[in-house]
Amino acid sequence: MTGTIILIVIVVVVGLVLIGIYNRLVALRQNANQAFADVDVQLTQRRDLIPNLVETVKAYASHESATLQAVTAARTAAASAGSVQDKVAAENMLTGALRQLFAVSEAYPDLKANENFARLQDELSDIENKLAAARRFFNNAVSEFNAGIQQFPAVLMAAPMGFKEREFFDVGEGDRVAMATPPPVKF
Amino acid sequence: MSQAIGLQTYIWNNNLRSAVLLAGFPVLLIGMVFAAELLLIGAGGLPSTGSMGGDVAYALRLLAGAAPLAIAAALAWFGVAYLFNQAIIDLATGARKVDRAAEPQLYNLLENLCISRGMRTPDLRIIDSEALNAFATGLHEGRFSVTVTRGLLGALDRDELEAVLAHELTHIINRDVRTMVIAAIFAGIITLIAELIFRVLMWGGGRRGGRDSGKGGGAILFVVVALAIAAVGYVLAIVIRMTLSRSREFVADAGSVQLTKNPDAMISALRKISGHSRIEAPDSVRSMFIDNSDEGVMSLFATHPPIAKRIAALEAYGGGRSAAPGPWG
Repeated sequence: MTGTIILIVIVVVVGLVLIGIYNRLVALRQNANQAFADVDVQLTQRRDLIPNLVETVKAYASHESATLQAVTAARTAAASAGSVQDKVAAENMLTGALRQLFAVSEAYPDLKANENFARLQDELSDIENKLAAARRFFNNAVSEFNAGIQQFPAVLMAAPMGFKEREFFDVGEGDRVAMATPPPVKF
Repeated sequence: MSQAIGLQTYIWNNNLRSAVLLAGFPVLLIGMVFAAELLLIGAGGLPSTGSMGGDVAYALRLLAGAAPLAIAAALAWFGVAYLFNQAIIDLATGARKVDRAAEPQLYNLLENLCISRGMRTPDLRIIDSEALNAFATGLHEGRFSVTVTRGLLGALDRDELEAVLAHELTHIINRDVRTMVIAAIFAGIITLIAELIFRVLMWGGGRRGGRDSGKGGGAILFVVVALAIAAVGYVLAIVIRMTLSRSREFVADAGSVQLTKNPDAMISALRKISGHSRIEAPDSVRSMFIDNSDEGVMSLFATHPPIAKRIAALEAYGGGRSAAPGPWG
């Protein structure tokens, strides 16, 4: 009689522990999802500013059509990207194109003096800061989730429960090389 | 409670710690009531059964009736505090309510945080003090308020102000003010019982002798045990209350990072505030400050963790990168 009671107690306790682990992992996964969605909010804000920026630059620097087209094309690609990996890649391309655009604008003093351009530059700079913060937060959430499914004893049941490791918001190989090479300084 | 591996698990661990601490209070209260009974039996206020074992059993039986009474008294006390809390705080600190027109930037910062969190924007108040401080007040929906000092508005930049507002907002979201009022009331009742026990011993000691001369040894033992429980309970009540307060501060720092995604702003705000936060205010408000620089004493009795520990936690779990000023600035 006491044998069966002990057995039942053990089963109940193990069940509760399993439920606890499952719910914990679900919460951590949701945190990562939400963090990515918050990154998306910043990315959308950035994409919304670009048409205005392109028009302003075109008015003063119409020769730089290649750079402007690169920005517009990158924006369209980013807006229509599907999977998470495509999104990350497209947004990294857009970051590169924008960097190129601002570098090129340095050669046009009239453009730099334009109030609209200055305001757009400030807003984009603000968004880039917020984007960096959102990405760091996302990476922390991903790191927490990945550690959660790798720790013992969760690691034993993570795969059957359907939890898979997530990828960080990576800067991307091309960008990493570009950022490693110092920009040429011409006087 | 396993080791925290990130921001969320850090918050969960601290919440568990807070719950355990809070649960300690009723236990401590019942212990104090038991001690008071032992004292009364030993000092002759309550009838003795003649044997120590019998006395202890008698005290335990009494406890079954006395403990619910004590808890009920605590609840009643809490009810009164609930009604008068906000008025007392406003009177004591001289805070002025401000609206969007008076402080648009500050109000927008607060409102944006609330919108992103899906909560009603609390009242915004300002104190005309040069000190750098902020606190959250209010015990229920519709009466919440965030107060900042004039000095804080002048010293912090936009991101740092946002981090401080997010910290106070987290206190509101987690209903920390209510938790600390409950803790203060429990601690108050427990220390009151302890003081009564000491008081009874002081002027009750001389009048003993006649009734329980037969069992002098047992009575003295009871009195000593009661005294020990009272002393330990007194200290423990304060320590639990302060440890609970520090735990809520860590969670509020973490909550600020969750809201703003910007741990570095919280770190630099803490650096600026450290050492400049002194304002006059009643105790119940002090524990809700963003920093309480009053203490230099033992850290067990501090309402807030030391700034260095808070920054270290933000770096370890919040992803903060501490840019301590180097030799070049």
